[in-house]
Amino acid sequence: MPSERRRARRVLSLVFLSAFGLVFAFMSSPAHGADFALRIQVKEQFRDANGKADNQPVAGVSISVTDATGVEIGAAETDETGVVVIPVPEKADYTITLDESTLPEGAALDPGSPAVQTVTEDSFVTDTRIVVFFTGQSQSESQTFFERLSQRILDGVRLGLVLAMCAVGLSLIFGTTGLTNFAHGEVVTFGGLVVFVFNMAGLSFLGFLSFLPGVSEQGTFHILWAAPIGVAFGGLFGWALNAAIFSRLRRRGVGLVTQMVLTVGLSILLRNFFLSRFGGRTRPYREFTLQRSWEIGPASITPRDAVVSLLSLVILVSVAVVLRYTRLGKATRAVSDNPDLASATGIDSERVIRLVWIIGGALAAIGGVFRGLDEQVSFDMGGRLLFLMFAGITLGGLGSAFGALTGGFVVGIMVEVASLAVPTELKATPALLVLILVLLFRPQGILGKAQRVG
Amino acid sequence: MDWTLIIENSLKGLVGINAVYFAVAAIGMNVQYGYTGLLNFGQAGFMACGAYGLGMTAHYFHIPMWWGIPLGVLFSVLLGLLMGIPTLRLRADYLAIVTIAAAEIIRLVVRSVRFKAYFGGSDGINNFSETFRKVGTDLGIRQSAEYGFWPFRFTGRELWTLTIGWCVVALFGFIVYQLMKSPWGRVLKAIREDEDAVRSLGKNVYSYKMQSLILGGVIGTFSGMIFALDRGSVQPDNYSRDVTFYILTALVLGGVAKVSGSIIGPMLFWGLFTFVDNFMRQIAENPIRIGNFMILQSTQIGQLNYMLIGLALILLMVFRPQGLVGNRKEMAFDGR
Repeated sequence: MPSERRRARRVLSLVFLSAFGLVFAFMSSPAHGADFALRIQVKEQFRDANGKADNQPVAGVSISVTDATGVEIGAAETDETGVVVIPVPEKADYTITLDESTLPEGAALDPGSPAVQTVTEDSFVTDTRIVVFFTGQSQSESQTFFERLSQRILDGVRLGLVLAMCAVGLSLIFGTTGLTNFAHGEVVTFGGLVVFVFNMAGLSFLGFLSFLPGVSEQGTFHILWAAPIGVAFGGLFGWALNAAIFSRLRRRGVGLVTQMVLTVGLSILLRNFFLSRFGGRTRPYREFTLQRSWEIGPASITPRDAVVSLLSLVILVSVAVVLRYTRLGKATRAVSDNPDLASATGIDSERVIRLVWIIGGALAAIGGVFRGLDEQVSFDMGGRLLFLMFAGITLGGLGSAFGALTGGFVVGIMVEVASLAVPTELKATPALLVLILVLLFRPQGILGKAQRVG
Repeated sequence: MDWTLIIENSLKGLVGINAVYFAVAAIGMNVQYGYTGLLNFGQAGFMACGAYGLGMTAHYFHIPMWWGIPLGVLFSVLLGLLMGIPTLRLRADYLAIVTIAAAEIIRLVVRSVRFKAYFGGSDGINNFSETFRKVGTDLGIRQSAEYGFWPFRFTGRELWTLTIGWCVVALFGFIVYQLMKSPWGRVLKAIREDEDAVRSLGKNVYSYKMQSLILGGVIGTFSGMIFALDRGSVQPDNYSRDVTFYILTALVLGGVAKVSGSIIGPMLFWGLFTFVDNFMRQIAENPIRIGNFMILQSTQIGQLNYMLIGLALILLMVFRPQGLVGNRKEMAFDGR
């Protein structure tokens, strides 16, 4: 009986994984061929009632684009977000002309941004080149150190919450099975991208659901639908990975180092799969609109980010409560402490491990969605967080879920605050420093318990 | 479909410069992973040490290029100490985490604008290999002339780096082979099998692991130098963490804990890689269509190749973790 059930699980998980491959493969892929565009924004600069610099979009301004030979490529008016996107055939030199007579009455261009601007081929860093026209007086002002610090801390809290969420799964899997999962970053990406598929790309065969609010006939879903769907798929994905690969390896007694190298292969496979389906660009979700920030003291946060942060906090607290007080939580911690002893007391450790993979996958997916709302989605969004997650769980204590929560949070804040002192491109460096210092002086981490490890 | 071209390219892939620098790096990784059981996921960082050691002689220090060799070795010893001191007393996965992180940080630092004066930023460093080329010219190899026979036809420029490269492979292969037969090598293998047993025999396990890590890293450094000399340039993005993973795949493909495996593996890896890549590109020229859906588009071939590498690594680890020529008993160790 148990072996039949095992086989059923294995078959089901393989079916699930291949179904996923197919859905992704046939999805109307945005990756086909690179399309280049100029994204032109027109902004009015002003000072708000509190005397802070701000700007707002200017709609209805005519923009035209000509190529190097003077042939017009396209012309359009800015929409209500002050943006016009003009597709161009290739990366090349273009001239962008703003028709000053279409500016709102009384508005004039900032001398710093003339009505005719040129872009060169080299200045296309990505496929889209952004050009900004400013009207009104330049309001740039230098922020005080305190203002910058508080803004960094606020950004750090957001990153830290996402990191904590992703790291819990990684740490739980490590605790219960001993496996360091180098593909965990791809589970995070998976969550972010599934939501993108439902939210932006659309699945046309789900068009019949359009009677529901927030679902379109093309099969795109509002973010409030797409996000929970993505999280559910993240949990399923975690379950399927365990059932299809890792539970079999554990039963065959395959060494942990071998399993670890396997996760590396998994990470390469998944990341390149994502790249082939989504392309190398970052993409926003549909309801990702520019929102006006709220001022909290000297720092500012958009309502979207505030809601996301609050939700993360609620989720993280509930995870901690579940681990601390429920039977499942206690069983998980028992298996982490000593799998053999836990089995001897009647805990079904395979069942616990299965649940841990599901919960870990779901939490990673939530992390991916929140990160996607925060920073847009891309094929390697999770892979780039992996190292920070490792720093977090090492700081908190490898294998301890509470440690991962606090560690991830601390590393997130630290990385953002550090960018005050080091260049932004190097802001991950302090995390490595922490990793090395923790391993030198307190290898069990803040919350881990000291034991002989070597 | 032009089979002659596909086969010619694949055979050239077997012995080409990619196979050479992968083989040198794999010999180094084999010392760590195959013989000692250390998971170094930062071999690309050691390779960057070698490449930038050479590059910085011209770009920053303004000294003759040959000084780059001791400089690169010095860098990689320092890197080995940085990675090893905090982690080698701990479980295997700490080393994996720290090496992967350190290699990535190295890449970020060398490509950063802040340190452009030292490392040349994201453009890297160019034009420093003239001294190396000149030695070849002095020996009578004309850089642009063609040498060899079908299918191994190379320009003098390629031939010169290939000759030196395969000599380095042979040299390190020989050194590692001899070392692993020595008492020192037997201690490494014993550490892989049972660290505590070795400790109880009075050996300083920590020091042996450190020596293994640094030896493997220094060999990896030479791999980076060969690659840099062949290209005549150093680019930070050639040393991303994926490079380490591909080298690991090549090593596992050939065979772990065998010197022959670490040379055969990279050759097979690049032979197969070139074959699959060329094959798919030929298909993509006359795409098979089902309605509007194309089976294969030329823009997707790059990612498809890398997906196959990932899949190959997964299948190898499940069905043959010791690789083609390895011994399964030598890959039964456990990191816990």
